[in-house]
Amino acid sequence: MAKIIGGIGTSHVPTIGLAYDRKKNEDPDWAPLFAGYAPVARWLEEKAPDVLVFFFNDHATTFFFDHYPTFAIGVWDEYPIADEGMGARKVPPLRGHAPLSRHIATCLVNDEFDMSIFQDLSLDHGLNSPLTMLYPKATPEGHWPASLVPIEVNVLQHPVPTPLRCFKLGQAVRRAVASWPEDLKVVVVGTGGLSHQMNGERAGFNNEAWDREFLELIAADPLALTRMRLADFARLGGSEGAEVIMWLAMRGALTEKVRTVHQSYYLPMTTAMAVAVYEEIEQ
Amino acid sequence: MSGAPVSPPGNPQLAGLEDLEGTYLFDLERSARGLRVNRFMHDLVRPEWRALFKENPEAAFDQAKLTVEERRMLRERDWRALIQYGASFFTMEKLGRVSGVSNPEMVAAMRGESLDTFLKTRRVPGAR
Repeated sequence: MAKIIGGIGTSHVPTIGLAYDRKKNEDPDWAPLFAGYAPVARWLEEKAPDVLVFFFNDHATTFFFDHYPTFAIGVWDEYPIADEGMGARKVPPLRGHAPLSRHIATCLVNDEFDMSIFQDLSLDHGLNSPLTMLYPKATPEGHWPASLVPIEVNVLQHPVPTPLRCFKLGQAVRRAVASWPEDLKVVVVGTGGLSHQMNGERAGFNNEAWDREFLELIAADPLALTRMRLADFARLGGSEGAEVIMWLAMRGALTEKVRTVHQSYYLPMTTAMAVAVYEEIEQ
Repeated sequence: MSGAPVSPPGNPQLAGLEDLEGTYLFDLERSARGLRVNRFMHDLVRPEWRALFKENPEAAFDQAKLTVEERRMLRERDWRALIQYGASFFTMEKLGRVSGVSNPEMVAAMRGESLDTFLKTRRVPGAR
């Protein structure tokens, strides 16, 4: 039986991927970021999951506003890196776990989550910028140790799904994973945030106090976060920071109680970059 | 049916944000207004469209049937006007990459500041 063995919350700022590609590991401006991800990469190496279920958002790259999916799941076995305007990153194509993805898609629809389904599309920094930090050896070695089930959430164009709905999506994914007969170790990943705003005169807004509170709540009391509205998230964490609802999808897929085994926070420029690892606590 | 204009009830998830200054939430009204200009910028992910835009922007504007004002905003990389008009930051990001303009530069422009002034408000100005 497939089993969820933990969760990761991570920012997906494009410069995280850029810092990786430009090998900024020793650059004092970026070293704290790399230091924050190193324990996560070690944890993944030690736990060796077969699959990562990734709750991420597209940035009007793969999808466009002529038809923007609210929730979409990829059911393909390979996803090229998307060209976002200056050529694709030189990173190996991402591996998809097509059979498990198809199973999860079927379960979700039968569980009243009417997903859009996509195949054979490229994916942007919403997924690939954190992934190279999670598996820093994959690019030089030319191979990803785990395969992916990508689940896209619309956080760009309102109406965006509610925080509670995202949490429930995670719960439904947990049920779907548990009903897969093969022995697979699965880690769920929620991406985005933390505080930032990329539009208007309020662009550049951050709120470290709220970010710290969010990191407490996502682990200890995620239901409190599901009772908030998108307006609350936008006011506290910036209009684009409201994308942290994708962390709620990750959290919904985990046990009621979790142990935070790693957490780091770095706010160098416009977006607070956070990464955290959660392990399950069985009741 | 009366001819009076309809006032939409709005999205309860977003209620209360109307007074949040300097914030332009990308909703369906903005998306509709910005569709042409967003499509133009989104399509810069295709190398052949990028090449046309770089070599002959006016021909690309013609092909996309853009208005005079839409052309001006794109030609002048007027980030502040674009975001106010109905562009999505995430399509603007593509135009930024094609133009060699970084996100901090775009953010500074939207705030109405120079890049240097904006960087002074940041903890690690070199991290870009």
